Amino acid sequence: MLFRKLLRTMGLYKAQFISMIIMIALGIGIFVGFNMEWVSIDKNANGFLEETGFADFRIISEAGFQKEDADSIASLDGVDKASRYLSVQADVKEKDGDTVSLTVTENAEISGFALMDGESYNATSTDGIWLSDKYANANGINLGDSITLEYKNIEFTGTVKGLIKSGEHMVCVRDETQIMPDYNTHGFAYISPVMYKETAGLDYYPQINVISSLSKKEFADKADEALDTTLMILTKDETASYSGPQGEIEEGKTMGSILPVLFLLIAVLTMVTTMHRVAAKEKTQIGTLKALGFKDKRILRHYTSYAFMIGIIGTVLGIALGYFVAWLVLNPNGMMATYIDIPEWKLYLPWFCIVILILILALLTLIGFLSVRLMLKGTAADALRPYAPKKMKRLLLEKTALWKKLGFGARWNLRDSMRHKSRTMMTLIGVVGCALIVVAALGMGDTMDAFLDMYYGDALHYSSRINLSEQASPEKTDELIEKYEGDYSASVAVKIEEKAVSLDIYHTPSELVRFPDDNNNFVEINDDGVYLCMRLAEEFDLSKGDTFEVSPYGSDKTYTLKVAGVIRSVSENMVISPEYAESIELPYTVNAIYTETEKADISSDNAIASVQSKQAIIDSFDSMMELMNLMILIFIVAAIVLGVVVLYNLGVMSYTERYREMATLKVVGFKDRKIGALLIGQNLWISLIGVIIGIPLGAAVLDYLMHALASEYEMKTVINISTYLVSILLTVGMSVLVSLIVSRKNRKIDMVEALKGAE
Amino acid sequence: MPIVEFKDVSRVYKSGDHELKALDGVNFLLDEGKFVVILGPSGAGKSTLLNLLGGLDSPTSGKIYVEGKDISALSNNELAEYRAATVGFVFQFYNLVPTLTVKENVALVKEIAKDALSPEEMLSEVGLSDHLNNFPSELSGGEQQRVSIARALAKNPKILLCDEPTGALDSETGVMVLKLLLSMARSYGKTIVIVTHNQNIAKMADVVIRVKNGKIRSLEEQPSPMSADEVEW
Repeated sequence: MLFRKLLRTMGLYKAQFISMIIMIALGIGIFVGFNMEWVSIDKNANGFLEETGFADFRIISEAGFQKEDADSIASLDGVDKASRYLSVQADVKEKDGDTVSLTVTENAEISGFALMDGESYNATSTDGIWLSDKYANANGINLGDSITLEYKNIEFTGTVKGLIKSGEHMVCVRDETQIMPDYNTHGFAYISPVMYKETAGLDYYPQINVISSLSKKEFADKADEALDTTLMILTKDETASYSGPQGEIEEGKTMGSILPVLFLLIAVLTMVTTMHRVAAKEKTQIGTLKALGFKDKRILRHYTSYAFMIGIIGTVLGIALGYFVAWLVLNPNGMMATYIDIPEWKLYLPWFCIVILILILALLTLIGFLSVRLMLKGTAADALRPYAPKKMKRLLLEKTALWKKLGFGARWNLRDSMRHKSRTMMTLIGVVGCALIVVAALGMGDTMDAFLDMYYGDALHYSSRINLSEQASPEKTDELIEKYEGDYSASVAVKIEEKAVSLDIYHTPSELVRFPDDNNNFVEINDDGVYLCMRLAEEFDLSKGDTFEVSPYGSDKTYTLKVAGVIRSVSENMVISPEYAESIELPYTVNAIYTETEKADISSDNAIASVQSKQAIIDSFDSMMELMNLMILIFIVAAIVLGVVVLYNLGVMSYTERYREMATLKVVGFKDRKIGALLIGQNLWISLIGVIIGIPLGAAVLDYLMHALASEYEMKTVINISTYLVSILLTVGMSVLVSLIVSRKNRKIDMVEALKGAE
Repeated sequence: MPIVEFKDVSRVYKSGDHELKALDGVNFLLDEGKFVVILGPSGAGKSTLLNLLGGLDSPTSGKIYVEGKDISALSNNELAEYRAATVGFVFQFYNLVPTLTVKENVALVKEIAKDALSPEEMLSEVGLSDHLNNFPSELSGGEQQRVSIARALAKNPKILLCDEPTGALDSETGVMVLKLLLSMARSYGKTIVIVTHNQNIAKMADVVIRVKNGKIRSLEEQPSPMSADEVEW
C-alpha cells in the first residue's frame, strides 16, 4: 500500500521529482562524461601503443647504426627488445605536395603496426607498401594500387598491400610545428627492410627503437657504455604520438574536475532544498501515518526510498548521459579520432566515478532521510501540525531611514527573500552556477582563439617555411636566404639534465617570427642570453638572470646559458640569437628559412627538403578548435539546463509556498500583472546579484583551468567583451523567462479556496 | 475494571521562557464500552487530553493507564505499537492520505494491525461501496469523514477517539456522521471518546467530562442518554 503511495507521491510532485532527476542526471552525466573521456583516451591509446610495440626509448644518431649496435642494446639487462628504425618524410609522387612518413623497422614487434585491411606484413616483401588507412581513404587509394614515394631522389615504388594504423604514428604529424594531423596531405607508410635495402642500396638506420622498463637515466648509462659514446636518447614523452594523447588526458582531467564537480554540487543542493520542501508539504501525512500507529522507522523508510528512487533514476540517466557526452567526443568519426588514430574507441566508466556515484546515491538517500526525520521530530501530535517556516524577524534594514523610501514591491521582496533564505540562496547559487559556467566555457574559446590569433597571426609573420635538407651547403643556404629575403633558424637538440629540448637559434631581422612574452608583448631576442618557453621555466624553476647547463647530443661539451627572458611557445623549446650562439661557441646548421614568398612561388631545389605554408598549419587547427567548441557547447547547454531546472523548480515550490499570500494580495485588489511583476522583480534582482558574483568567479575558474593546463598550452587567459555580454544576457534572460512561465500560474489562484483552507 | 485511568496528569508546553499548562493535574476513570464526550471551549485542553489518551503525546507528569497498562512512559516505538493496536482516530479534517484511494486508505491499517477487518466490509458498512476506487479529493466532506471512520474501526481498536469529528461538516451531514459513528461503535462494542464544543452531542453521551483551563470541571454520568433523533439540532 505504501509503495503505491510512493509512486503516486512521485506523480503528485511531478515538477520537483523531474527537476531533481534532471539535476542529478545532469550533474552525474557531465561528471561521468568528462572523466570517462580522459580515462578512455588513456586506456584506448595506451592499449594500442602497447599492441603495436611502441618504443619506450629511441636512440638517435645521424651517422646511423649497425646491426650489431641494435643487438648489443637488445642484450642489455632490462631491455626487452631493440630494433633499428628509420622514419623519413617522403614525397608522394602521385600527389604533389603530399608527404608520408616512410617507415622501416627491422623487427616489426617494435614500432610496428596493426593491420586494418589487406595482407599481413611480410618482412621480406620487395614491393609491398603498408599504408595508413586514413591517408588512403582521404586520397582514394585502394589495396593493390601502386604508389611511388620519393626520398632524396630515391624512388620507392610498390603496391599497397595493407591498410594499417600504427602506434608510432598515432598522432600523425609532419613535425613539431604541426599540431593536428591532416590526412589529406600527410600519412605514413611501412616498407620491409629488404625492400628498403634493395631500392635504396644502403643499410642506413639513424635510430634504434627500444622496449624497456628501465628509467631514462638507467637506460642512458647502460646504452652509452654499450655503444661507447654519449647517445641522444628520446623517451616516449618526447614523441608526439605519446605526448599528444597524454596532453589530451591531462586536459580531460582538468576539464573533468572543477566544472563537473560544480554541477554535482548544485545537483546535491537542489536535492537538499527540494527534499526539504517535499517533506514539509507531506508533514500532515507523515503525522497521519504516525497517528495511525506506523512506527517512525517505517515512515522514514518510506520517504527515504522516495529519495533513493530519485537517486537511482537520476544516476542511471546520468550514466547514460555520460556515455553520450563521452561518445560525442570519442566516437570513431568524431574529432578526437582525427587527432589520435587508433582502430577502436571503447568507452570506459572509471572506477572512481563508480565510487563517487555510490557515494552520491548514499548522500541523496541520506538527504531524504534527514529531511523526513526533521518532520518526525517530537510527538505524533507535533507531527500532525503543518510545517511552519520560521517566524519573521525584523530586518536590520528596516531600522534605517532607507527602508521608508522603498516601495511596497521592494519591501515585500526583501522580506520574502529573507524569510525564505534557503530558497533565495538556491536561486542565487543556480544563477551564479549558470553564469560561472557560461563565462568559463566561452572564455576558454576566447583564450584559445586569442592565442591562435596572436601566435599564428602576429607572432608568425611568414607565409612559408622552407625546411632545408641535410645536404644543403652553407653557401646554398645563404643563397636561398638572399633569394627569398628570409629570416632563418637552426635547431640544436640539447639536454637539460635528462630532458631533450630543442635549442633554437633565430635570426629575424625582418621579424617574420616574433616571440610573445607573458603579457603577449613581443620581446626582442637579444644577445644577452637564452629565452625559455614558460613550461621549461616552470619545470626547471628558472627565471631571468639564472644560469643552467645544456649539452648537445652527440657532443661531450656542456654550455652554460643565462636566462634572459621567458616566452610563450607552442613547442617546448628555448631561443637564442646567432650572436649569443657565437659568444658561447655553439656550432649550428641553419635548417629552416622563413619567407613572405608564397609556397607556390618557391621553386624546388635539392637543398629544400620541404615547404610548408602557414595556412596549412592554421587549417590543421580547425579540428582542434572544433573539439574545443564541442566541449564549450556541452558546457553551455548543460549550464542553461541547470539554470532553468533550478529556477523553475524553486519557482514552482515558492508558488505553492506563497499561494495564500498571493491570494491575499489578489483579494486586496492587486492585478495578476502586478503580482507577476512583483515575482519577476525578485528573480531579476537575485539574477543580477548572481551574475555579478558569477562572472568574476567564472573568470577565476577559467584562470585556474588555464594554469592547470599550462603544461599543455602556454596561453594567456582572455575573455572577450562579447563573452561577458552573452553570459549576462543568457543568464538574466533565462531567469526572466522562467519567472514569466511561473508567474503565469498566478492567474489560476482560486482566492476563495486558498483563503478558506485550514489554520 | 476501568479501561482508562488518568492519575494526576499534567501537560506543560514550553516556548522560550513562556510556560503553558494545557492540562493541570487531571484525574478520572472511564469504563469500557461507554460513550464519553469531552466538552469545553477552545484552548481548554480537551484536544491535549485526547492526544495523551491516544498516545500522540506524552504527559509532563502523572500516569495514564489504558487496560491497566501505563502508557505515559512508553518509548516512541512502543507508543506506535499502542496506537496501532489499541486506538482508532477520527480527525476534524479527516487526515486521509490523498495519494491513496478510499479502499487503499482503509487497507493501509492492515500493514500495522494484526486483526484488521476487511476494508470492503467496513466501507460497505459506512455506505461507500460505490466509491472504493475514488481518491479522497473526489468525495464530499461527509463521505471523507465516513472513510476516516471506516479506517479507524478497521484496525479493530479498543477505543475510538474523535477530535471534533463533525467540526468541518454542515449540521445535517454532521448528524448523519455522528449517528453512523455511534451505531458502529456500539455494534462493535467500542469505548468511544469524542472531543467537541457542541453541547448537543453531549446529550447523547453516557459520560460527559467538562474541561476548562486545563482542569476537569465536572464528570457527569447520564444513565439515560438521548438518541440522536431525540436531540434537537
